[in-house]
Amino acid sequence: MKTSERIIEILLFLSAATAVLIVALILIFLLKEGLPVLVKVGIANFCLGMNWNPIAIAGEPSYGIFPMIVASFYVAIGSLIIAVPLGLACAVFLAEIAPSWARSILKHAIELLVGIPSVILGFVGLVLLVPFIRDHFGGWGFSILAGSIILAIMALPRIISISDDAIRSVPREYKEASLALGATHWHTIRKVILPSARSGIVAAVILAMATSIGETMAVLMVVGNTPILPAPIYDILDPVRPMTSNIVLEMSYATGDHASALFATGIVLFVVVAVLNAISHKALKSKMGTRR
Amino acid sequence: MSEIEIESRNLDLWYGSAQALKNISMAMPEKKVTAIIGPSGCGKSTFIRCINRMNDLVKDCRITGELLFEGTDIYGNSVDAVELRKKIGMVFQKPNPFPMSIYDNVAYGPRVHGLRNKEELDRIVEGSLKASALWNEVGDILDRSAVDLSGGQQQRLCIARTLAVKPKVILFDEPCSALDPISTAKIEDLINTLKHEYTIVIVTHNMQQAARVSDHTAFFLLGELVEFGKTKQIFELPEKKSTEDYITGRFG
Repeated sequence: MKTSERIIEILLFLSAATAVLIVALILIFLLKEGLPVLVKVGIANFCLGMNWNPIAIAGEPSYGIFPMIVASFYVAIGSLIIAVPLGLACAVFLAEIAPSWARSILKHAIELLVGIPSVILGFVGLVLLVPFIRDHFGGWGFSILAGSIILAIMALPRIISISDDAIRSVPREYKEASLALGATHWHTIRKVILPSARSGIVAAVILAMATSIGETMAVLMVVGNTPILPAPIYDILDPVRPMTSNIVLEMSYATGDHASALFATGIVLFVVVAVLNAISHKALKSKMGTRR
Repeated sequence: MSEIEIESRNLDLWYGSAQALKNISMAMPEKKVTAIIGPSGCGKSTFIRCINRMNDLVKDCRITGELLFEGTDIYGNSVDAVELRKKIGMVFQKPNPFPMSIYDNVAYGPRVHGLRNKEELDRIVEGSLKASALWNEVGDILDRSAVDLSGGQQQRLCIARTLAVKPKVILFDEPCSALDPISTAKIEDLINTLKHEYTIVIVTHNMQQAARVSDHTAFFLLGELVEFGKTKQIFELPEKKSTEDYITGRFG
């Protein structure tokens, strides 16, 4: 009895350790493959370099991913600009206004949205959204705008469900107190419920941003993938190449320093997403003492 | 006897198919304290929540009969619950200050009703905190979070927040059940002062409290109003056997 208990405990510990081990191994592998080029080029030159020219026919190849870092943030922030107001409005409706039948329909629809494979969203973007943008807004169609819209659709369910949870966990007493003072429902939502749910909502938004930056397939198909900054910098109809696309597009034929530079891109991506996740976690934790 | 401020006539209330209030008829006079006592689940909180229409938030809650405030039916078609709640404030069982500064808590109501003038707000906040006997304790820490106050202070802050809206009636729903005896005494003193200007209805399961603070007392049992009258008479010469049993502690 005693020994069998012990064995089970050890097995459970090993299962738990596997997850940690896998993360550690991936990180070690990324560093091993990517560090040589980072050392050779210099971290600053790599992250801030404007020029990505890995297979130079004449002269030295150059590995600058600054335009791709900008592109990743550009499409991710663009997606938030679309998805946050929409998602928040939907969450408020779900949590505060919707009768139970509407709530259950919406909840199911949102779950379906989560289940759509990203390649399908990308495909829809490619055949519908890109030509639409080309015809109505001009440019090539493959653009920051297209990428942001597709990412916004992917971010919506996450923002909605986390914000919905945050709003529903606001103590009922706050709502009653506000209403008892003669505030309208809308005023109560704006001044009491949303501020009280703020940390959860912020966490949702940052988490959505982290996922958007890490998203690959759907973005790759609509964003155009040219590794230069948009010109002018605010032109959202220009194509760009996020870090994720860079890795996928060139991995199949890259060798030597070029391959190493792609792994280094992965390191930068990993760090950015890890930092965003940490911030999101912190935002959720600070919910414990809701004070100002 | 002073004017009647709130009067219920044959009030029935159902949650779904369960009847929570049965044929309640009683009149609460102006600028007096009316206490509602009774064992848990007797409908006393449900009744008080009818008066400011907090039961509107409860699904499947159905009400028949009349509930009059200043002669108009609270549940009449022309009555706006939001407007009504400006005149009938409520202090809840658990102190529930908003997670904001002390100042913002008290200023919340006036701001809701459109007041933006800073001096005017300052004046209302100070006046309300003085009226709720809290000014001496928090006058110089108004920008601190209300959540950091003690339970008793939080409850007096909630009273100040209610006063800031300038209601005519204040409903207290077991305001001391989460408080220590000293904080309770302070709230009771406060109620004794406030009754000169406000009509007060207080739900309590503490019979000594009802005896101490109220002018009239209603005894509820299983959703029915068993007995209603002058507090002195209810406690000294109850007409009904069950009232006597309850106040002498034989059940409840």
